[in-house]
Amino acid sequence: MLFPRVGRTHPALRIAWWATVAFLVLGITLHLFPFYFMLITSFKSGNEVLSQTPTWWPHDPTVAGWKLVFDIVEGNSAAGQLMSEPLWVYMWNSVQITFWTLLLGIPITAFAAYANSKLQRGRMARYSFLFFIGTLMMPAALTLIPSYLLTRNWPFALPQAPSVGGTELPTFGIWNTHWAVVLPMVFNAFNYLLFKGFFDTIPDSVIQAARVDGGSEFNIFRRIVLPMSVPVFAVTIWTSFSGAWDQFLWPLVVMQDDAKMPASVMIYQLQEKFIQAGSASDAEAAVQSQQLQEILGAGMSWNGLMVLGILQSIPVFVAFIVCREYLLRGIKLRGLK
Amino acid sequence: MARIEVEKIVKRYSDVEGVGGARSARPALDTVSLDIADGETIAIVGSSGCGKSTLLKIVAGLEQPDEGVVRFDGEDVTAVRPQARGVGMVFQDYALYPSMKGKGNLAYYFQVHGRTEEEARARAQETADRMGIGFEQLLDQSTDTLSGGQQQRVAIARCIVREPRLFLMDEPICNLDAKLRESTRVEIRKLLRKFGISTLYVTHDQQEAVFMGDRIAVMRGGRIEQIGTFDELYYSPANLFVATFIGSPPMTVLPAIASGGLLTVAGAEWPAPVPVPDGPVRIGIRPESWFTGRGDGALMTVSHIERIPTERAAFVHGQVDGVPVVVAAPLNQPDTAELRIMPDMGRVYVFAADGEQCLHTPGPLDLF
Repeated sequence: MLFPRVGRTHPALRIAWWATVAFLVLGITLHLFPFYFMLITSFKSGNEVLSQTPTWWPHDPTVAGWKLVFDIVEGNSAAGQLMSEPLWVYMWNSVQITFWTLLLGIPITAFAAYANSKLQRGRMARYSFLFFIGTLMMPAALTLIPSYLLTRNWPFALPQAPSVGGTELPTFGIWNTHWAVVLPMVFNAFNYLLFKGFFDTIPDSVIQAARVDGGSEFNIFRRIVLPMSVPVFAVTIWTSFSGAWDQFLWPLVVMQDDAKMPASVMIYQLQEKFIQAGSASDAEAAVQSQQLQEILGAGMSWNGLMVLGILQSIPVFVAFIVCREYLLRGIKLRGLK
Repeated sequence: MARIEVEKIVKRYSDVEGVGGARSARPALDTVSLDIADGETIAIVGSSGCGKSTLLKIVAGLEQPDEGVVRFDGEDVTAVRPQARGVGMVFQDYALYPSMKGKGNLAYYFQVHGRTEEEARARAQETADRMGIGFEQLLDQSTDTLSGGQQQRVAIARCIVREPRLFLMDEPICNLDAKLRESTRVEIRKLLRKFGISTLYVTHDQQEAVFMGDRIAVMRGGRIEQIGTFDELYYSPANLFVATFIGSPPMTVLPAIASGGLLTVAGAEWPAPVPVPDGPVRIGIRPESWFTGRGDGALMTVSHIERIPTERAAFVHGQVDGVPVVVAAPLNQPDTAELRIMPDMGRVYVFAADGEQCLHTPGPLDLF
């Protein structure tokens, strides 16, 4: 507690109290403002969105943006033509990618951390810990090309390497599939750190007592450790969830077909179309301008994008609300944000 | 129920986990051998870091020894996993499963061994009856709502519910407050008697060790210095360490010069209890072996008197020639600044002047 309960009536303390409150309110406002703007923009008309002086609330509220988004969802009308597939396809892609990332990633990361914390000992434990944590120190840009090679040729990045002897290593074609997005995200060093930090606080004697009682290592993990670790699982699931749902760069790199893209990438590409519509061929440019004309005529510009943005962020909000209780308990484990 | 043999166990921790964090050249356990007869309780006593908990973990299988053999009923179990050894262990911090209620803690063993729900329940019930009044309601509470003493009772119940071959207790009551410790001590002793299961009881409190153990093993620096009954340790210690470690208040050790059957201590001359070669020696005198107020005694400067009415005795604390001395005196010992004290020469221990070798011990007291 920043301020003690006793002596709060003291004037200096009271001023400090209100100053702190004011500071926090400012912080919250700054955080909430983008969401507010996103929400009101989605109810503005197309003209109002594009007006030079932004308005603080919709002067002429309309649900045109939302309506058009439903067109995109269903993939009909001019707006629907902006994306090659209906929106729900991309949403479904996002769901699949997120689902597999969580389903594989959380247990694998948790097992790795548990094994490092409770099963490995001495020097080995220290080195493997440093190895896993070391992956955090790699800038993402540095791993981009190795990861690219790895996903091109899974699981051997350079299958030709041993071909001196005439043999080639087997390669699984995960390139341009969801697996190329999921597999590199399965082990998450940051979640590993969270898990490890938590498992280290579980006294060894509890594990040892369970061993003496006859529990196998997996049973001990499932029956004793797992129920104790619900908060840390909530934190890691939520961070992984928002990370997997909102990821942008990697799917853009490995996915070649629009039909396989997650929604986060497609919404961005839609925005690109708004900003920089244009084409080298006359005919195409004419079609595009015609299309945009139609869309603007239907009253949609940025308001539609805002609706998509809202749709995209809803699952993260829902996940937060579902895990809220545990997240608050686990927040001190996480130590940031 | 089992006869346990621990033979020449050596255990070295790798540098990361060395005692005190530094690389320790000395092994945590150095050729430790120990036999526990069927139904016997051995109390292992020693200061912290002497390896007593490590020994317990090796017997439980939680640690692997670098050398040596552990046998249960003659069968070599050194390589057997702790899951399969069938021992019951009580930990210093109780180590209850925090996500389960008391009941769940007791039932875990039966669940992982694929026994039926009914059996687990019946056995828990049986154990609750054995554990005495008020125990049953502990089973329905979640463990973090229990007090230290209650947690400890649940931990013991979890250990006995499965009828282990061997009890291992790692300072089970040292986290309790003094009063509770006393009553729990009695309770555990009663349970051990009732079950007649071989027990290793680790403690750093020698009174607890004396109370619990049929035999007591004194450990220091990874070695067992002596194993024996309390009388053996008290009256016939193997060396100076055991002599000063056992007994509270501890034995006084005074430097002395032996010459011609006489011991010169702090200016006083006393006849040696046994023929001692001439030269410097050390003599050990227990608090109760002092006579006070005799003219030929050594001069003791008194610092304070501790009176213990229940024992009908007073301990006079002071110094002789700069060496701290404790003398047991009658309860009505008057407060004086100085005191002439003289040992009962029949009950004096003689040690070599350097080293820990014991030259003479008085042997057990002839009480009857």
